[in-house]
This record gives sequence, structure tokens and C-alpha cells, in this order.
Amino acid sequence: MNKALRNPLIYLIFVIPAFVLFLAFFIYPVFTAVNNSFTSWNGISKNITYIGFDNFVTAFHDVAFWKSVKNNVYFILFSCLVQVPLIVIFSLLIANVKKFKGLYKTAVFMPSIMSTAVIGILWGFIYNPDFGLANKILGVFGVSPIYWLSDKNWAMISILITNAWQWTGFYIVMVLAAILAIPKELEEAAAIDGATGFQRATKITIPLVMPIISVVIMLSIAGAMKAADIVLVMTKGGPAGSTDVMATYMIRYAITSFRHGFGNSIAVLIFIFTIIITVLYQVLISKRTERIEY
Amino acid sequence: MKKSLMLLMTLIFVASAMLAGCGKSDNGKNTPANEGQKSTNNGEAAKVDDSPFEITIRHTQVGESKKFRLALLEDVVKQTQDAVPGLTIKLDAVDSEVNRKEKLRGEMAAGKPPEVFDVFGSPDAALYAKEGLMLDITPILDELGLKDKFTTLAPFTLDGKIYGLPIGGSIEGFFYNKEYFEQKGLKVPATLDELDKLAETIKADGKIPFAQSSKDAWIPLMTTNNLWSYYAGPEITYGFKSGETKWTDENVVKAVAKHKEWVDKGYYKKGELGFEYADMRNQIVTGEAIMMMDGSWANSVFRDAEQAGDMVGKIGYFNMPPVNAGDPVVVMQDANNGYGFSSAVAEDPRKMQAVKEFIKNMWTDEMQLRGLKEDGVLPAMKMDLEQMKTTSDDPLMQDIFKAVSEIGTSFPAFDALVQAEVNTALSMGIQQIIGGEIEPAKMLENVQAAQDAANAAGQ
Amino acid sequence: MRALKKTIPHIFLMAYLLVILYPFLFVLFSSVKTNNQDIASNPFGLPGSITFDNYINAWVNAKISTYFFNSLYIGVLSACLSILFAAMLAFAVTRMRYNKISAVVFQLILLGMLIPNNSLLLPIYGIMRKLDILDTHMALILPYVANAIPFSVIILAAFMRSLPGEIEEAAVIDGLSSAGLFARIIIPLTVPAIVTVFIINFLGNWNEFLLANYFLSSEELRTLPVGMVGFRDAYNTNYAQMSAGIIFSVLPVMIIYAILQEKIIEGVTAGSVKG
Repeated sequence: MNKALRNPLIYLIFVIPAFVLFLAFFIYPVFTAVNNSFTSWNGISKNITYIGFDNFVTAFHDVAFWKSVKNNVYFILFSCLVQVPLIVIFSLLIANVKKFKGLYKTAVFMPSIMSTAVIGILWGFIYNPDFGLANKILGVFGVSPIYWLSDKNWAMISILITNAWQWTGFYIVMVLAAILAIPKELEEAAAIDGATGFQRATKITIPLVMPIISVVIMLSIAGAMKAADIVLVMTKGGPAGSTDVMATYMIRYAITSFRHGFGNSIAVLIFIFTIIITVLYQVLISKRTERIEY
Repeated sequence: MKKSLMLLMTLIFVASAMLAGCGKSDNGKNTPANEGQKSTNNGEAAKVDDSPFEITIRHTQVGESKKFRLALLEDVVKQTQDAVPGLTIKLDAVDSEVNRKEKLRGEMAAGKPPEVFDVFGSPDAALYAKEGLMLDITPILDELGLKDKFTTLAPFTLDGKIYGLPIGGSIEGFFYNKEYFEQKGLKVPATLDELDKLAETIKADGKIPFAQSSKDAWIPLMTTNNLWSYYAGPEITYGFKSGETKWTDENVVKAVAKHKEWVDKGYYKKGELGFEYADMRNQIVTGEAIMMMDGSWANSVFRDAEQAGDMVGKIGYFNMPPVNAGDPVVVMQDANNGYGFSSAVAEDPRKMQAVKEFIKNMWTDEMQLRGLKEDGVLPAMKMDLEQMKTTSDDPLMQDIFKAVSEIGTSFPAFDALVQAEVNTALSMGIQQIIGGEIEPAKMLENVQAAQDAANAAGQ
Repeated sequence: MRALKKTIPHIFLMAYLLVILYPFLFVLFSSVKTNNQDIASNPFGLPGSITFDNYINAWVNAKISTYFFNSLYIGVLSACLSILFAAMLAFAVTRMRYNKISAVVFQLILLGMLIPNNSLLLPIYGIMRKLDILDTHMALILPYVANAIPFSVIILAAFMRSLPGEIEEAAVIDGLSSAGLFARIIIPLTVPAIVTVFIINFLGNWNEFLLANYFLSSEELRTLPVGMVGFRDAYNTNYAQMSAGIIFSVLPVMIIYAILQEKIIEGVTAGSVKG
């Protein structure tokens, strides 16, 4: 359209620094990982034997691996079905209140500024069966103590709650920034036209911030697929592997057991599964909303 | 925007100033103050090179419970620095689990471990040694006359060469609340049945018989390992790797079933599957639980008022008793944790000298006894039991010495005898047992499957 | 009726705040209690007597000051660099007229979001070794900058895309070059997004554990999370002292966030006035 925006030199200067770093720290390591995934390397030896797809076959035949995949799916479902609606609702609420806006905004974000290690310690207190907050509160309603992190039926949900506690505020702030960036005139015009708060939210605000919500969902999925730290600090994948996600499965069966090649094949599988899910999401859901622009 | 930017800039400035300050003060402290006239073993005193050089020691003496061990190491470091001209030793402290499972492995994979590092003998050291990453210290030991002074160097030996030295030894057995035993008229059990009855009595009294924290599976596996060594005999563990024996052996099943029985009878605290190591010691310290299977190293906790509070002096120790009265006592006893050295050291004669000096200062009777006295670590070097007894008059230590003297047959911990992936499978299995998800026979079938796979891969 | 309508959102928000803040209060209360028994017997109330010994012990034992400043400057520097690089790339990709190349570059970077960084530790360790910067702060800054790029690009690109095209048309007619357009028009308009991304990147760096644990060994170079985990391993039976350590590690970021979150609103106002 115009010359100013077609300057190859400037384009290169702008693209290269980030892109080179990206290639060095993402693409190159991925190739290394893919290469290693076809070996029986123990992570230390200089002799590396290529064994074809054996590692992948082993993983596919392992019940524990599929259990970890299932836990990743729980992570995704919980993020998309529980967290995302909460994120949108609370963002809208905060955007529309006049009083305490700063307080809310600062406060909701607070869990996200803590390192996962610290959160693990903190929620360890809360889930403590004897004097933890969770059981004390439930005790008021006459619920007998729940062994949150020791009981395989509760451990996963405990982790999901903690994870949601940590990250919901983080995404709220993102969506909130987008809502606040919407030109005031639009909302005011709608208000003059007699639209209710609910109508304004669903007809104007949400469609306008859809790109960001879409990003939030994508980030949640990617985050859910990569989740490891929170599991490690809370249960180390236990009890008996019931909270293993793919990333911790990889650590448990590969790194700790000197099976580096196998570990890399799990990393490759995590990568492939994530791509499949994201592409599915893009095709099924994202395409429909893409036309909306402002 | 400007104001906060200024604030940040100021903070960065302050930060870098602080850093510079820290660096400086540290260097000042470490400047080698020796003249380098000594340390001439081969008569070449004329041209001693005393230009500064540095080696790093990776150790795992982090935290309150290891402060004595750290002090001991620091003294050895000082002696070594004084003896080698120009040498500065940098101490690098990393948590033991992190070092073993992550950091050292990463460094080994990259081929660049620190010059001296904390390492587990088997299976870790053997694997590293096989790749030529660890220094063969056999010649040094020959020269210093240390080779035959150790109880066992098996975990650190590969093809007749020695690649590391254990820092101390340990046994596994029961710590128990002596005061409670006296009050209730209970006595130390002589058979497993008596131990069973004891647990039943304690349980009926409303206390927890056994403290245990199973978030890390190696903790309950101490009990399991000792149980199967009684039921199936300690030799069985040596045969798993070669395929001569099987995990599915009915006696191993019986042992796991015993452990499960204790779980089912409520001898452990409910929910302990999610507890950290420290929790079980807390159960003993608070008097909530009465007995605890742990390594002898735990004595340092119960002898320190800061950690054990009122319980200091009230804790005793006994071996897990045999099935029948009078049978030999079978106990896990090993010396698997110690120091190894990077093979890269061999390229630099001055670093070699530093390593030699470190070994010379670290593995002496004096240091071993000091470790025993201050920290309750059993010696890794051969030592007269009587001499040990006179070193520490602490009643808990006396109990442990007595336990050592009672040992009929000792065996190394199972994880030193089987592949890492078998350990992973067994760890998973014992947690499933405790969680009530699986039967012993089925669990051991899974372990045997992992064993078969590992054996096949090893050939 | 109107008053009720105004209070309902506050009721929900306050309930949410309670869930968020109560654990913090719990830690705060625990940090001024004398010992574990004190916490166990009265976990949620204020203690009878308040003691600050835990803070003194934590500060002395955990060397939090050193770790804190290391984390701060590594976090800020890396976050700034990644935003600069990411904004440049996002601008080139969304605003410059090289749609085909841009689409490829952008898709590739999008892919980066999906790569499990945990598993790339060893290859990255290898790179650091070749560059011979292990055990220096550079070994963290480089990967931190790189790790933040995909996320920053995606967010900034989303914001830049949403800017109306007329702005730049007008600017280009006024005679601005593309670099000028980037620096004078796009960046100021993107400030809210930049601040958000900065906070997120900074926090990611501030809390990063794995690389910091692997790539540095000198104690004086350590960052806060590594220091905190060491602290936990060392004092894991002393909940009161650990709570004090948690407060130390959390308070500084809370203050920084409280300062910066004002800027988001400021940025939005400034942006809308200009737009």
C-alpha cells in the first residue's frame, strides 16, 4: 500500500533479534530432542544407539503414560470450563465497578506473583489434614477430614484448585487490560441507546475482547500441557503416580531412571499432542470468531 | 511512568553496587594465606608453582540438620588449602536430592562436573565411571595406604578400580519413644511377632505405632526392604539384576503383604502418603507416634534440642527383629554416599595434588570419629566398636552401637543392587500398596516386568 | 434498587478477594507465632503474643537480601530486552506489508508457545556451555529473554492488530518512516499491553526455578526461588520461620506490582486521549 511499510532493511532489523533468539532457544533444542527421542541414550554415555520408534511404542503401551495424559486433559478441561468463565465474569465485574477498582486489580493478581515453590508450601499448609484451612472450614459444616494430597481421589482436584488459584488473576488482568482499552464512546453510546449492563457485556465488550480471550484459552491449554512445577511441589506426581502429568511422567520415568532417550520421546509427544489440540481449537472455535474486528 | 522508572533504575543501581560489594568481601576472605613451603612430597621444592588456582567442591550439607557435617568439611577445606600453595577451594552447596537427581546428572551429561562432588556410589557412580567421567583414585589410595581401611568400597568400585569414597556409613532400624515404653511397661521386641503385638498395644492406646512419610517412596521402602530381607533372605536382592531371583518370589510377596497388613491395621497415620520426610520425625517429636523406621543418620535430629525439643534423650533405637527368636539379625548397612572426583582433574597435576590432599585430610580416623561424635554418622572406615562406644556417651548413640554389634548379616539397600528404573517401579508399587490400590502379588509382578525390561536393555 | 445493583458486584468480588487473600493472612499470622504448636493450636487467628524473631532469623539465615537483588536485576533487564525485541517483531509482523513472510514467522513463534521448556533444559545447558557463560548471570538472562519472546509477541501482536489502520495511514502521510511509526505512534499506543507483558515476563523471570538452579552454582549469584527452596529444605520443620521467609519473597513483588498497575490505567487514558 505504501512504501514506508515496505522497507526490507527495517523489516529485517526488526525481526532478526527476536527470531534468532527464538531459533536458538526453541527450534534448535526441539531438533535435539527429536533426534534423541529415537535413541536409547541414558543421558550421560557417549555411545548413542538409535532404536527407531521403540521409545514411542513403549510409551503407548504404558498404562501410567495414558494416566498422565488423562491428567493433562483434566487440566485443560478445568482451565477452559471453570477458569475461563470465571476470568471473563470477574474481569467484567472489575471493569464496571467504580469503587475499589485498584484494590481488586492489585489483589486478584497477587497469587500469580508468587513462585510456584512458595505456593506449594503455602497450599501444603492449607491442605494439611490436621490443622489445614480446608479441613477446618469443611469441619464447620460437619464434613469429616479429607486427605487432600494423600488420597488419590482428591489429589488431582486439589492441584487443579491450587493451579486455578495461582493463575486466574493473571488472566483476569490480561482480559481487563483489553476491556479497559475499548474506547469509552462505544459503551457510552450503547448505554444511551438503553442497553442494560448485561447486554453491553455480551453484545459489545465480550465480542470486542474475544481475541484476548482466545489468547487466554490458548495460553491455558499450552500451560496445562506444560504444567509440571505445581505438581512437583505439591505431590511429586503421587500418591502412586495418580497426579502425574506428562511432564512429571517424563521426569519420573526418564530423568530419574537414566532414560534420557525415552524422556525426549515423551517431550516430543507432549509437543505433538499440544499442537494437535491447538490446531483443533483453532479450526473448531477460533475460526468462527475471527471475523470480528474493530 | 518516569517516577517508577527512576525507582527501578535506582534499585538496579543499588543491586549492582551490593553485588560488587559481596563479591569483593568474599574474595578477600578466600585469599590463600599460605606461603607454600610445605607440601613437597617429591623433593622438587625449588620450583613450587604457587600461582592461584581454584577447585570446586559440590557438597550437600545444607540446612540446620547438617551444620556439623558442614563445619567438618570446612575444616578439611582449610587444611587442604593450607597444604597446597595457590589453592582456593570453592564450596558449592546443593540440596542432596537436587544434586543427585538433577544437577550432577545435568553436569555429567554435559561432561563437566565440579572437581570434587557429592555422589551416591551405586548405581550413580558406576554409571559415571563407565563413561570415563570419574577419576580413578586407586593409585592415590595405594599411595596413602587407605585402600584397606574401609568397611566396604563396593558401591564405588567398577572393574577393580575405585572411583569414590564413602563419607560415612549407616544402618536402618527403629527409633522409638523410650519414655513411653517405660511408662507402659513395653520392651524392645525380639521377633517380628512381638513387634506386631507391640504395634497393636500402642494402637489400642490411641497412639500411632509407626511414624512414616510416604510422599517420597524410599521412606516406606526402608521397611519393605528390611522385611523381605528377613522373609526371603538378604541374598535374594543380589539376584534380581542377573535374573537368578524374581520379585514374584512367594517370600517377597509375604514381606510386602506384611507391610500392607500394617497399613491396613492402621499402624501408620492416615494420610501419611502425602507427607514430607520431616513430618514423620515431627510425629515422633510431638509424641504422636511411638516408633519410626529410619536410617541411623536421623539420630542427629533427636539429639539436637532445636529440632527435637523435649524429646532429646528420650529416644532409643533397635534393629528390626527377626522372624524367629534367636535367628541372626539382618540389617541394611551400607556406605553409599560420599565424594567422587572429576576425571578432568587428571589433566592438571596441581589439581591432582589438591584432590590427594583433600582425601588425606578428609578420611582420617580423627575425622571419622569427629563425624560420629558431633553428628552421629557411623564411620565408613574400619573401626573398633569399643573405640566408637567411648567416643560418644549419648544414650541414643549407645543404642545404635549396640544395634551395630548385634548385626548378624548386613546387606546394601536394594537401590544399590537394581537398576534405577526398577527402583522407580517399586516406588510406584509401594505407594499403590499404601493407597490400597493393588495387591502385593500384582504389585510385584509389575516390578518384575520392569526388572525384565531393564535386564533386557542392559545386555 | 440502584444501590443494590451497585453492591452485588462488590459482594462477589469481595468473596473472591477473601479466597485470594486468606492464605496470605494465614502466612502473615503464622510468621509472627513462636513455633509449630502455636500454629497448629490456633491456625487462623492472631497469636496471643507477637514475635518478630522469625523475620530476623529468616533474613539472616536465608540471605534473602542477596537473592532478592539478583532476582530483581535479572528479572527487570531480561523483561525489558524481551519486550523490546518482541515489540519490534510484532510490529514488523502485524504492520509492515510482508504478509507471507510474516505469516510464516508468526506461526513459527506461535509454535514456540507449545514447546515444553522443561524438556529443553539439557540442550540449552549445552548451548550455555559452548558459550562458556555457565555460572554467570548471562546464563539466565539469555534464556529468559528468549523464553519470553513467543508470549510477548503474541500479546503485543494481538494489541497492535486491534489498533485502527487509519492512525498509521495518517502518520505515514505526515512523513513518518516505519521506524518512526513504531517508536512514535505504535509503542505509545501499546503501552497498556507493554506494561502487562512486562509484569508477566518479570514475574516469570522472578519466579523461574529450573534454569536458575541448574545454570548457577555460586551462592552469591543465586536468585530468590532457588534460595527459597534451599531455605525450605533447610527449615522445613519450622513453619513459622518459613512463613516469614515467604513474606520476604512476596512483599517486594507486591509493591512493584502495586506501583506498576497504576501505569496500566494511566497508559490507557493516555492512549485513548491520543487515539
